[in-house]
Amino acid sequence: MLLSLAIWVQNLEFFTYLRSSGETFPAILALHLCAISLFGAMIVATDLRLLGWAFRKSSIAAVVDQLRIPKRVGFLLAATCGFLLFCSKAEDYYYNPFFRVKISLLILVAVHALIFRGSVYNKPAELDGPSGAPVRAKIAAGISLCLWVCILCAGRAIGYVQSQPGEIRHFN
Amino acid sequence: MRSLPGDLPMLIQNQIISGQLAFPILECFHIAGFALSIGMTALVDFRLLGLGLRDETPAEIAGTSLWWMLGGLLVAIFSGFLIFSTDPDMYYLNWIFDAKMVCLVLAIVFNYTIHRKVLAPGASPAARRGVAATSLALWLAVVFGGIFIAILQ
Repeated sequence: MLLSLAIWVQNLEFFTYLRSSGETFPAILALHLCAISLFGAMIVATDLRLLGWAFRKSSIAAVVDQLRIPKRVGFLLAATCGFLLFCSKAEDYYYNPFFRVKISLLILVAVHALIFRGSVYNKPAELDGPSGAPVRAKIAAGISLCLWVCILCAGRAIGYVQSQPGEIRHFN
Repeated sequence: MRSLPGDLPMLIQNQIISGQLAFPILECFHIAGFALSIGMTALVDFRLLGLGLRDETPAEIAGTSLWWMLGGLLVAIFSGFLIFSTDPDMYYLNWIFDAKMVCLVLAIVFNYTIHRKVLAPGASPAARRGVAATSLALWLAVVFGGIFIAILQ
């Protein structure tokens, strides 16, 4: 069911063009990496501020509040590029174990948001205590950093495995 | 057009080529390093454009982000050297690699000269916006160059 959907998507005219044109696919990949560079560091900056390791001249509330919208814009950009990359080679990605790992990790990011958004990120006023952020906020920041580093590595690993049903071929 | 100087004697065996995991792990370090360094510079650039962290002055943001930026840059350059060492002939003949290196040097020089100057309180808003846009464009050109090296292979 998912597989037939993947094959249908990649055979759409637009995605067939993306796959077969020599420059378009790498251009979208480069945009994907640009979005990660520009906005991924905002996630890192927020997490570092929560941990008390950077940007200590700003209040935690200010960093969390002021980077919220740019982070969402950046995620949307990176995700859109990622979606286009996926759709143009959907069948390969469907079988790629690292793609599955990456999607699972992204689901964990959603779970992270469900757990910590209410108690940490949406209550910036409670974050600036006398000894920095409360422990739950620091735990949230640490988990977030780990998840995103793992997502980055899984994303890179996708390019090293090309698998079809019944065979996993490594190429470099 | 460049050409290679014929067969050179193999002096040492590059362990990165024979190890299966070494190259992908190097690439992960490379990506994490440049993402951190470019993103930390971008925080300053976004502030110069009036976006993002507004409670600190551009100079204050740079005061913190400069060190994270330098750390990321060193990781990216060091891993980049090792990646280069696996196939120097290919990079030597690849004009997109040349373009990437030119952009990289320009971006680094720009970052530590003109980019620093506009962080001072007296700089005009127009100069700040121009410098921020130039800085972002140079760094993103380096990322594009990195990806497009592969399509000439």
